[in-house]
Amino acid sequence: MTNEPNRGTPSLSPVLLAGFALRPLPLVLLQPALDLAMSLMRRRHSDVFERLDALENASFLIDPVDLPFCFTLRLGPAAPRLWAVGTGGDMESPSAVLRGPLLVLIRLLEGRMDGDAAFFSRDLAVEGDMEAVLTLRNAVDSGGIDLAEDLLSLFGPMNGPARRALGVAEALFARAERDLESVRAAFVASVEGRCDAQTARLRDLEDDLADLRTRMPRANAAGKRAAKPGAARL
Amino acid sequence: MSGTPLELVCPAGTPGALRAAVDAGADVVYLGFRDETNARNFPGLNFSRPELRDGLAYAHERGCRIYVAVNTFAAAGNPDPWHRAVDDAAELGADALILADIGLLDYARRRHPETRRHLSVQASASNPTAIAYYHEAFGVQRVVLPRVLTVTEIARLNAQIPVETEVFAFGGMCVMAEGRCVLSAYATGRSPNMNGVCSPASHVRYEQLGGRMVSRLGRFTINQFPDGEPAGYPTLCKGRFVAGGCAGYLFEEPTSLDASTVLPELMAAGVRALKIEGRQRGRAYIAEVVAAFRRAVDAAARGDPVPPLGLGGMTEGLRETTGAYAKTWR
Ligand code: SF4
Repeated sequence: MTNEPNRGTPSLSPVLLAGFALRPLPLVLLQPALDLAMSLMRRRHSDVFERLDALENASFLIDPVDLPFCFTLRLGPAAPRLWAVGTGGDMESPSAVLRGPLLVLIRLLEGRMDGDAAFFSRDLAVEGDMEAVLTLRNAVDSGGIDLAEDLLSLFGPMNGPARRALGVAEALFARAERDLESVRAAFVASVEGRCDAQTARLRDLEDDLADLRTRMPRANAAGKRAAKPGAARL
Repeated sequence: MSGTPLELVCPAGTPGALRAAVDAGADVVYLGFRDETNARNFPGLNFSRPELRDGLAYAHERGCRIYVAVNTFAAAGNPDPWHRAVDDAAELGADALILADIGLLDYARRRHPETRRHLSVQASASNPTAIAYYHEAFGVQRVVLPRVLTVTEIARLNAQIPVETEVFAFGGMCVMAEGRCVLSAYATGRSPNMNGVCSPASHVRYEQLGGRMVSRLGRFTINQFPDGEPAGYPTLCKGRFVAGGCAGYLFEEPTSLDASTVLPELMAAGVRALKIEGRQRGRAYIAEVVAAFRRAVDAAARGDPVPPLGLGGMTEGLRETTGAYAKTWR
């Protein structure tokens, strides 16, 4: 497993921008929220943790490449624990590393995206103990986790206002995603135009080269014939 | 041409996947127990006995059937886990057992004659004599055909055998004759035939080296994918090897089977059921692939053209093939 993380280049997204905003935040401030999330998961998805029992003392580095920090998940005889760490790989040799954009990782957690498909498309990169990775993937995929519903359960049956607030937040996020996509498209449009022109030029050159190649043997053969004394007499 | 819809047989590796398959329109869900008695013995996958009982209830309430795969070959001197798997599946009310081992077929026929027996693809039975023998000796009612036959060969075979046939329609390609491939055993000491897993996760490693993702199986480097190139499974049969100075795929490229374009031909060839591969895949795969094939099977049964399924994002290497069904090579 590599110690120096290769996080690739994340695409422009609301998560990336939110990550910039979160940069100055001491990670320890996230801990109460992460502890709450884990106890909620254990309460609402005990079947997931039963499947994870097979993993003794496994630890995972979960690296959302568009955030300025990672998560570590430690499983074992004690209660499973999740905490935030820096991106410098400051976790002591995890059993495995899972790396991808935050939204991909969330969709995998909720079973809305297939892990193999994310791997084939290279949206998800994995390293380390693959048995541990598969056990985690299969346990989580089976669990029917729905982060929004899990969070709303904290508000009990009177969760109407929270549900509405979440709906607004989701709409704002979707809007920000669309807007950023337009910004990205505007930025790359001129570069794409130049690339298209270069590609067309390259194709023309390749055609010319192919043409020259087909003519060359004929020209060479004619030259050789002309150079032969007998041929010269004809 | 219209006709009886092909039976849609769909995979499930977890209770969540089973519910996804049933809800997406599966006629049948096939699954296995959480041990080496089935050919998808992956960590964290498969069903406990109580999960099978609940899954059967969920499926039967919705008019869907459950087939239980006990399709590895029993270990010499220790057939008990395989016998228990057959007994438990039959007693819990499975609609059919999918078996490959002749000892186990015999055991199931004697102990549970009322439970249907299907011959697993792991038995690799692909000629009329072999199939007729499985039928006469063990009362096999359906055979799952290996992925090596053309549609014409399947039609010819169906005309000569007394049992139903089921063929693979979508998913991972196992390019060798199933049940007989030793590539995984050679590289790792563990095989799908005996241990229920090809290229076990315990022997797989991925490494990011510069701009390449390197996959290894045991001592072998299987592939190196430059950044941005779609990836494939780390099986030896899909390895990219250097020969004669060129790197290339010697056996098969990373690609998935998609037989949706030949469904009318498969119906005309007398096939009874279509199998979707992928018990190791997630709920999202199951829901999307099963729903797409439900549409395709119903369209073919009405005699309508099969619509494009748009399943490219689910395929290995992000590519699909009709495999041997339309092969022009031998
Ligand atoms: S190595 Fe390839 S052909 Fe052999 S069993 Fe595995 S998937 Fe099938």
